[in-house]
Amino acid sequence: MSALKKSFYIKGRDFTHAGKASITVQQMLKQLGIATDIVRRAAVCGYEGEMNVVMHGGDGSFCIAIASDWILLEISDNGPGIADIGQAMEKGFSTALDEYREMGFGAGMGLSNIERNADYMEIESTPGKGTRVEMLFQIPEA
Amino acid sequence: MPMAYVQFDASFCTGCAKCVRACPTKAIRIRGERAVLIEHLCIGCGECIRVCPEGAVISAISSGQFVKSEKFSVAIISPILYSQFPGVMPCDVLLGLNHIGFDHAIDLSYYLEMHQYAAEEFIVRNRETGENPWPLISPICPVICRLIALKYPDLLDHILPLKRPVALIGEGVRSQIAREFVVAKEDVQLYHLTPCASKMISAGIDVFADSPCMDAILGINDIYPQLSAAVEQIKNMELCFYPCQRITFLPNARAPMWGMSGGEIAGMNVERVLAVDGLQEVIQYIEKIDMGLFKDMEYIELRACSEGCLGGSFTAVDKYIARSSAQKLIKMFGVGRRIQRGKLRRIYDQGWFHSSIEPEEMFKNFLGGEPPLTIGQMQQIEEILEKVPGKDCGICGAPDCRTFAEDVVRGRAELRDCYWFQLDKN
Repeated sequence: MSALKKSFYIKGRDFTHAGKASITVQQMLKQLGIATDIVRRAAVCGYEGEMNVVMHGGDGSFCIAIASDWILLEISDNGPGIADIGQAMEKGFSTALDEYREMGFGAGMGLSNIERNADYMEIESTPGKGTRVEMLFQIPEA
Repeated sequence: MPMAYVQFDASFCTGCAKCVRACPTKAIRIRGERAVLIEHLCIGCGECIRVCPEGAVISAISSGQFVKSEKFSVAIISPILYSQFPGVMPCDVLLGLNHIGFDHAIDLSYYLEMHQYAAEEFIVRNRETGENPWPLISPICPVICRLIALKYPDLLDHILPLKRPVALIGEGVRSQIAREFVVAKEDVQLYHLTPCASKMISAGIDVFADSPCMDAILGINDIYPQLSAAVEQIKNMELCFYPCQRITFLPNARAPMWGMSGGEIAGMNVERVLAVDGLQEVIQYIEKIDMGLFKDMEYIELRACSEGCLGGSFTAVDKYIARSSAQKLIKMFGVGRRIQRGKLRRIYDQGWFHSSIEPEEMFKNFLGGEPPLTIGQMQQIEEILEKVPGKDCGICGAPDCRTFAEDVVRGRAELRDCYWFQLDKN
């Protein structure tokens, strides 16, 4: 059976609507009866990725594909890009503006949180052009 | 099989669909120009009662008026009651209850204070044991508990596993009153006076079956006409005192506070607390908690009604006026505590506050919500959404296009029920 695909547009700096895509996706996954632990991990990763775009990015897209035994999330943007991916993956490393930190974001946990929660992840980034993060979640057979 | 929380009176219903749009769990549809309920999705929040312009929505068990019987009538008072009479002292309201035929009264604010103490105790111990995940969610609002049980069951272990204040009133109270006033235990009639449409449901179908030993439940708006007439009379009398032997636990100065949003966490010895009211915003918060956020908070007070219980659907006066009257009382008397902690710690350790209901039990009452969809069905939903206009017009009787598409896939509606789809085809 072919996978179910859906995509969302993410607007940079738009904190009012930030998180909408991941919440919608979370609801879809729940409706599909996927185990709560997987739904939660996927939602957390989606949310972190979405917030990264909103905070740093220009505009971006949030794509999801769901099959019976896996979920694939792809979040990409045309923002500033990441100069040193290894450094960005470190806990606590952040380039977020102070005003975002005051709102409770930008603690530098985003990417490491994704790494911890996704079964597999891949980052591609070109400074000045944009970033693409891909995450995979496996659904074990019930 | 649980009984429905609300019923629609078809002779009054005009099919205007206001309730369909207001329902937070999308449990109402219009069929044949009348509202119908999908019972297993209803959490009894009372939004439909609030928005219905025709008064066609009836709470399942509405006792209606208070009629004085031969029995020894005891009013169990939600402290909201005092805020319904701006400019009137709480003791005059109590006297009014006495005049309309209640033999005795028990003020709930004492139990609310005990509950607050127990919550603090639980939080402090949870810091050590880490038994329950942060943030803990207040169990006081029954609608919130049902909402979580129905739609966010993996958050059930966030609900503070303590009995709700009203559940702390055990059968013991009945015997105590019987002894004190020398009446037979069977002749003691407990009436719960409440602003909450949700508590108008008897214990049998409630998710918290460990709650009430109440004999009848009266909405504050049900007794308001009788009571306000009595209070009006008392106000014009010069000196009158409430007979103290006629009440267990007098309301203290803090009483008006409990019903306000934020009233439960006010004065708590816990710093990382938060209060959110109104279903729409509450749902946004629950979604974020579900997403793993707010872990730095220890206790969150969530209330389905905006402005908290003051905004309950069975109140008699507008919630903002009630709030202003409550604030005046607080300003006059200040807020303080009255219960000694040493005694409470002893009964806490005996497990007196702990709820006997396992969170999973609550979920069972909802038959596990809706059966899960398959990926194929989800794809069908997306395909249907391409065919319909996506303007959420509601002509089909569903609240929005997505729910309509889901109804089609679940066999509760047909694609031709969509007016626009049909128009395109012809």
